[in-house]
Order: sequence, then C-alpha cells, then structure tokens
Amino acid sequence: MESSSSPIGAKATLLRHFPGEIREAYARSCAAGDSAAVDTVVVGVLLDHVPDKAKLAAIAPDDSVALVADLGLDSIAIAQVVFFLEDLFEINISNTEILGVRTIGDMRVFIRRKLADLSIVPRA
Amino acid sequence: MRPTAVITGLGFITSIGNDRAAVTHSLRALRGGLEPIELLGNPALPVKVAGTVKEFTVESPSWRDWRYPERYQLSREKLRSLAPHGVYAVCAVEQALEDARLTAGAIGDGATGLYCASAGSPFLIHHHVRQMHAVRGARGDPMGLVASIAGTLNFNLAAFYHIRGAVGGFSAACASSSHALGCALDDIRLGRQERMLVVGAEDVNAETILPFAALHALSTNPDPASASRPFDRQRDGFVASGGAVCLILEEAEAARRRGAPVYAALTGWGQASDGHSVAVSHPEGAGLRAAMRRALADAGVSPGEIEYVNAHATSTPAGDRSEALALRSVFTDVGARPRISSTKGLTGHTLSMSGVMEAAFCSLALREGFIPGNASLVEPDEACAGLDLPRAALDIAPGLVMNNSSGFGGSNVCHVLRRHPP
Repeated sequence: MESSSSPIGAKATLLRHFPGEIREAYARSCAAGDSAAVDTVVVGVLLDHVPDKAKLAAIAPDDSVALVADLGLDSIAIAQVVFFLEDLFEINISNTEILGVRTIGDMRVFIRRKLADLSIVPRA
Repeated sequence: MRPTAVITGLGFITSIGNDRAAVTHSLRALRGGLEPIELLGNPALPVKVAGTVKEFTVESPSWRDWRYPERYQLSREKLRSLAPHGVYAVCAVEQALEDARLTAGAIGDGATGLYCASAGSPFLIHHHVRQMHAVRGARGDPMGLVASIAGTLNFNLAAFYHIRGAVGGFSAACASSSHALGCALDDIRLGRQERMLVVGAEDVNAETILPFAALHALSTNPDPASASRPFDRQRDGFVASGGAVCLILEEAEAARRRGAPVYAALTGWGQASDGHSVAVSHPEGAGLRAAMRRALADAGVSPGEIEYVNAHATSTPAGDRSEALALRSVFTDVGARPRISSTKGLTGHTLSMSGVMEAAFCSLALREGFIPGNASLVEPDEACAGLDLPRAALDIAPGLVMNNSSGFGGSNVCHVLRRHPP
C-alpha cells in the first residue's frame, strides 16, 4: 500500500492520477531497471501533458510524433514534463539537453540514456 | 464633465454563497457562512472557526486533485498556474461577465483593464519552497512562481482573458481590493479605460489564516454563530475567510450604449493613512475618518445624505473601536445617523478581498432595496454610542451608501455608491 509519508510512497504518489498500466510500468522500472517500462512511463507522462485531449484520438504516439507540432505542447508544458520526469526518476535535465528533444522518440531515448549514464534505477 | 462609472456585473465565490442569488438571500436572511474547522490536524489550536468556501476542494497543492462545480470549464492550461484562490477567482470572473452580458472575447479590446488583490498563496509558496530545499535547489515546478506569489491573480486572469488594458495588483493587506476599486474608478474618470474588472480573492487554509493567530487577531470562540461579532462588547478577534469576488466597473455612457444592466454608480472614493502603527489601527480612527471625509468630498455629498455604511469592522477589539469613533466623528457629530453594519458577522473577514466584496454587497443593497444587518451583534460596545446598528436586515432602499476598508500599516479606503438611476 502506498504511503505518502515515505520516500517510496512520495514518488509513486506523483503518478496517482495515471492509468494503472503506467503505475505498474513505473513499479517495474524501479524493481528491475526495465527499459521498456521506462519508455511506457515517459510516453504516458508526455501524453498526460497534452493540452487538447481530442488530439490524442487522431495520433498514434509513435517515436516520430513531434512534441510541439503534433501534441500541441507549449514551452511551459515541456518544462512541466521535464520537471515531472526529473522528480519521478530523480535526475537533473539541463536546458541545453532538453533543447535537442523534439519528438516522443527523442524524449524516450533521452531518458533511457540519462538513466543508463547515471546507472540509475529509480527508487520507487 | 468628467466620465462617471457604474457597476454592471458581479461574481461571487464566498462563504455565504457562490452566486448573486445565494449571496443576496444570505444577506437578507442573516444566513452566515462560518463553520467549525481544524487546521493542520491539530485539535489543540485555539482557532476553531472559519468562513469556508463550499463546493470546492482545493486542499492539495496539485491542481490534479482539485474539484470545483461542473458548470465551470477550467482547462489544464488555466489550472496549472493557479493557486486555490485563483480557481475561485476564475469562477467569479465567469459569473461577472455573464452578469454584465459580456463575452470573454469582448474584454480583450484594450479598453478593458484588470486590477486585482490577493495575498498570494502562502500555502503554495510553502509547498514549492519546501520542495526546493528537499532537492537543494536542483529543480522546481515551472509554474510554482506565477501560481503562488502576490500578483498571481493578475498574471493569470490577464492571460486567460487576453486583457490588453491596464493590469496590476494591489498590496495593502485588508484594504487592497478597495484601493483596486478606487484606482479603477480613477482610470475611468481619466478616460484611460472604458471598463475595469476588479477582483479580490484569498485562500482559506492554515497558511493564510494562522499567521493572524500569532498577532492575536483571531477569535478563539468555537461557536460559528457568535465567533464573528463586529461592534459587540464580547468580540475577541476576527474569523478568517476567503473566496473571490469580481466587480465590473464601466464608464456610464458606454454601459448605456450597450444596454448593460446597472447595479449602482460608484460616485467617489477617498484614502488616507493613519501614519501610526504597522499592525494596529489609530486609536481614534484618524486615518479612516480622513478617508471617509475625502470620499464624501469626492462624491460631492454631505454626511447627512449617506443612508447606509458597510463598516470594515472585523470583530477585533481595537479595530472596531477605532472605526466606531471615526464613524461618530464623521456622522454623529454633525447630526447624521446612517444605518451601519458589518457584514463580516456573516462572512468572516476575507482579508484583501473584503473591500471589493463589500462594495459588491452595497451594490446588491442599492439595486435590491435593502440594508444588511449586524448578524451576531447582541450588546454594542460603548464606543458605538449614538450609532444606528440594526440587528436584522431592513427592507429599506438606500440611495447613497459608503463602504469602508482598513489594512495593515494604517491604510484606509472608503467608497461612495449611489442608486442608479438616482
């Protein structure tokens, strides 16, 4: 059972409004460093920040989908995604790094590399 | 002849109602909005009552957890940069626009401005600062700043409604939204703006309320029916409240041209500072006395013409006494005897939003033809000798009313409103 008073619960609590499969993927990514599960969480977080949910019905969220042109994320929404992922995976992302991220695929690969470079298995 | 201004729209999210009809009913029937509360999960705290906002759930720092009435459509883009009181404010603005028969698109014309007042959100500031310390400054919510600091209301509302006229925030504690309303009137008189939205709002939570307990300014009476009792001998402090009110002020001729409904005319205002203490009123209400006289002079009316005064009186021993003495000096000493009440007996004290909220109450009184009463007054303080303090609301239609506000540092602001048409 989640406890918002423990560090474990505090991280999982960030995803409390997300679908079950995202929360389960996060748990797998924490337990086993499962890269596919990290991808699921990253894409889930990106889609959650899409302002116009009607857009999602017409878009298959594959790697080529552009964050600004296709998903309609503005610079503030991207900053919020970055903050959310930083908090969730306990990583730091610089402005320079994020400027190169333009698509879902870019973000997915970027977070994978970030976790691998830092040898991080997120602490759930 | 200088332009004149009329009030054409009102929106309310308050402890006594979340729309005009509910607020009017509460004012006429003396239906209070105070409830028992427990702050910070600590039953030992002596503060037991607050003026709560109903139908909203905004206790979490995350907008994802917030709940509000379904009739309001708040997109993610709006919610992500709001404080709890910002949610109240957007709802109040939506009501006021509909009330004034204006569309949201119509106020991006450059002729419409926006003045706001709130203390910001100490609740959200605490949340974000705590988070910053936890990660030793490494990251933070990108919306944390604009959602929480003083000014959050004007930042957000100006952006949401694409307002391109004068926009600003006022910070004079409990007189803030009265300053906002007075300056809005000046902008219309000077021909700078045709229409002004004036918005006051406050969170209702421990972070906003309890700092006043440290000042020993809050009532420790646990009974919601008697905790807020302005002008009463037994008063022991104020009851904190919040919410949001939006008042739309328009140049009278422009309002007439578009066939806008009119509540009342705002005919004058005045301000004066005590120059006395950072947190305590002048003992004889010197600043408030001067502000009332300046407002009367600006409106071109004599004390004897004022039929009702909505007093600032918050239920603190020192503040109410100062205001009573100031009222006696301005009115009683020249043979004038307006009805006087403090609606904070019903609402509690809504801090920086109280001035615009009570100007809105005066607008309702002028249009609907009643005078609000002193809900919980039993035995008036001896300082009130000679003042007419009706207990119940009166079915008397006032023609001219005054609205008083005072804040930290001795700021005092008064407005004069007139029935429209006269």
